[in-house]
Amino acid sequence: MGTAPFATQESNLKRILTPIVAALALFASAPAQQTPTDMGTPDLKDAPKLFKKPGYSPYAGRNYPTRVLWGDTHLHTSMSLDARAGGNTLGPEEALRFARGEEVVSATGVPAKLSRPLDWLVVADHSDSMGVMDEVVKGNAALLADPTVKQWHDAILQGGETGMKAAYDVVETLSAGKIPPVMSDAKLIRSLWERQTAIMEKYNDPGRFTAFIGYEWTSNNGGNNLHRNVIYRDGKAKADQLVPYTTADSENPEDLWTWMQAYEDKTGGSLLAIPHNGNLSNGRMFSVETFKGNPLTRQWAETRAKWEPLYETTQIKGDGESHPSLSPSDEFAGFEKWDKGNLMLVPKTPGMIQYEYTREALKNGLAIEQKLGVNPFKYGLVGSTDSHTSLSTADEDNFFGKHSGVEPNPHRYEHVVMSFGGRTLMSWEMSAAGYAGVWATENTRESLWDAMKRKEVYATTGPRMVVRFFGGFDFIAKDAMTRIPAEVGYAKGVPMGGDLRQAPAGKSPTFLIAALKDPMGANLDRVQIVKGWLDAKGQTKEKVYDVAWGDAATRKPDPRTGKLPPVGNTVDLAEAVFANTIGDPELITVWKDPDFDPAQKAFYYARVIEIPTPRWTAYEAKRFGVTMPKEVPMVTQERAYTSPIWYTPSKL
Amino acid sequence: MRRFLHEPLVHFLLLGALLFAVAGLARKPSQNAPGTIVITRAQIDAMVSAFEQTWQRAPRPEELQGLVQDRVREEVYYREAVAAGLDKDDTIIRRRLRQKMEFVSEDVAAEVEPTEADLRAYLSAHPEAFRLEARYSFRHVYMDPERHRGTLPADAARLLAKLNAAGVHADPTRFGDPFLLDHTFDGVPAGVVAKQFGDAFAAKLAELAPGRWQGPVESGYGAHLVFLAGLVDARTPSFEEVRDQVRVEWTHAKRLEANEAFYAGLLKKYTVTVEPYATPGAKP
Repeated sequence: MGTAPFATQESNLKRILTPIVAALALFASAPAQQTPTDMGTPDLKDAPKLFKKPGYSPYAGRNYPTRVLWGDTHLHTSMSLDARAGGNTLGPEEALRFARGEEVVSATGVPAKLSRPLDWLVVADHSDSMGVMDEVVKGNAALLADPTVKQWHDAILQGGETGMKAAYDVVETLSAGKIPPVMSDAKLIRSLWERQTAIMEKYNDPGRFTAFIGYEWTSNNGGNNLHRNVIYRDGKAKADQLVPYTTADSENPEDLWTWMQAYEDKTGGSLLAIPHNGNLSNGRMFSVETFKGNPLTRQWAETRAKWEPLYETTQIKGDGESHPSLSPSDEFAGFEKWDKGNLMLVPKTPGMIQYEYTREALKNGLAIEQKLGVNPFKYGLVGSTDSHTSLSTADEDNFFGKHSGVEPNPHRYEHVVMSFGGRTLMSWEMSAAGYAGVWATENTRESLWDAMKRKEVYATTGPRMVVRFFGGFDFIAKDAMTRIPAEVGYAKGVPMGGDLRQAPAGKSPTFLIAALKDPMGANLDRVQIVKGWLDAKGQTKEKVYDVAWGDAATRKPDPRTGKLPPVGNTVDLAEAVFANTIGDPELITVWKDPDFDPAQKAFYYARVIEIPTPRWTAYEAKRFGVTMPKEVPMVTQERAYTSPIWYTPSKL
Repeated sequence: MRRFLHEPLVHFLLLGALLFAVAGLARKPSQNAPGTIVITRAQIDAMVSAFEQTWQRAPRPEELQGLVQDRVREEVYYREAVAAGLDKDDTIIRRRLRQKMEFVSEDVAAEVEPTEADLRAYLSAHPEAFRLEARYSFRHVYMDPERHRGTLPADAARLLAKLNAAGVHADPTRFGDPFLLDHTFDGVPAGVVAKQFGDAFAAKLAELAPGRWQGPVESGYGAHLVFLAGLVDARTPSFEEVRDQVRVEWTHAKRLEANEAFYAGLLKKYTVTVEPYATPGAKP
């Protein structure tokens, strides 16, 4: 196998161009001294105090977050090997421009714009061979010397079906850990990483829009998804000191944690990791043994809890909050379910699902804590996209799909979105992704990251509803009547992600929950509290309570069953519209746990459910005038999941 | 001189010269003389290392010989194919070569640094892109439509009278229904208002007169009574305020511009004739 004659030519060209380009740059940049943009300085311009606050203001001295900052912790661009192979030509710059509200043209030529800008974005390209696929497509001579790479290159250039097949081959090869060595060349990888961090630095605009440095560590043992997104609190100066950890280094999450520790030791910086898609891990994500099959230890649990405060519970490749087989009495369990197999569609065997879903993991965490003294699965919750299109879209009526092969077009619903060994997933099965809501005081890397670390965050399946969730022992019904729920929330309790210790004698946990609809979206059907606990026998239990609901004047729980009737359905499929004539714009209540046992560990989180709205497939059917098969769902009930609040008795 | 180096035309000429030089280099006479094929030691080394990377071992002599013979075969076919013009109408080859050209122009564009004069000129040419949004200072009282079913207009009128009686000192947290967002906003950009309350509310805010309670103003949540305390109109910023943003935009624009200029320069060398045609399906 030789290299094409062009390749030699190109390497010469590059060699000659480089000094000239450098000389040009030297000439031009001399007078325009640029101030180094070290992060951590909030933009004072953006927080003007134009009007003196009145002296009677109850806000005096208030320092809690008052606004949700919306973003995506998980977006891929053409710097990701598989995204580029799959035809995505938009790089991180376009991704950031799109997220901050600008119009861009997608890789397939469709103009794209968000209904509202996001406040922040983590570009989390795969660390394995990050940016290298771009070089492959461009025809970097050193890379094409490898026959496999050369084959991919040729196939991708052919485009169409052949190109797509090559893309799957890349993912499969990556999954099998057989990445050609040239693609992980140290010098190349370093220079591409530095280019990536430079772009984030350029677009990070404290106070207005935060561009995080981050990457995805894509551990994929046999298709068992153990992926984690690593998010930096730091700027380029620190992030550049180590290149991202890859699965070529190791597929064992424990080794990633060791690397994270090494990064912090070396740079004095801060990292956190967010795992996702346990639903595609075939029982490995929340396994109760280590990666190598050993029993868990206290130290292992401590380490996992330290580095992984959050879990991405909803995204395009399915929602992972709950599964009907684990929560048979929960009528809302199993939203946008992807449970056929793992990432390579290797089918599941019985017993796997219990180690894949968030609620079960939160429950198992209590049991492990009982045994080891530490809860390794003490996860706060976020939603994100995992789009590979550089377009962070999570609205049902503006959904650009998982990868460039399934961007909007009349027949995308019947395209294959994933295919391995004859097993396929269809494009209509894609969930239209989610976002992360963060209760941060400022729109800066530091403030947002700190909120993530303390788990004051929540997941939504796309809509930007505002959700407050506080736990304490002293909330009373009147607190739900106060005009500033947050004030009493912070004064008398802890926010989402927090902890309640030993209950005072005779008292039960009380919760103040408030939810406000997306200002451009649907009304709310109901607010629920999901409780999980460990009973006296050491068994995990769960229960879902309806605590507030829309149309409450006329809508009452069935006196016999206690079940709340459905909110109704205003969706007109022919027109792909709905009406806010049912449900409520805002739901606020105080709820006291009626089944509390102070000796038992427990967690509580809120689930907020919207009224039925058209699913993305319904918008698409209407826009393109296509009729989809019966099995394609057309109506959805979108939702938010808050981070839990945990109750721990003082005696374990 | 610096000015000169910034001209897209200069980039184009430089690139042209480079391409020419490179093309010359690549055509080494010893290797490429008609009727002669030389497989160099460097090429053989590259074959060996590529083999080793794939198979994790050195090639056996017969394998290496096979690689070399295959390379010779490739070269023979390549040259004959080019001589016969088989490369001319091949979509893959054409697309590939086009991409190589785009790669070249992209690389150069990425490296050019702006001067302050460039940035100032860019700002004055694109003031709209950097316009600072209007900022609003306001208080509001929320009315949940569910709690005022059928009585909202009357309830709002009554509440409005109460608020105006209290005037500028009315504390919004003592009136209306519970609300999850803030009640007082100081100097908030229009875009942030729109993100939190919806576009319609933000637009309506711009029409209110400051200094008294007004409404109800509709938002995505329901009705609001609003006291506009002040506003700062949208304005074009000074250069110092937006220097860094201008730099980002300038670089981005330059990249696109350089790519276009590069193409335009090449296009000039050609007289393009497109034969008359009818759009399929269109009536003549």
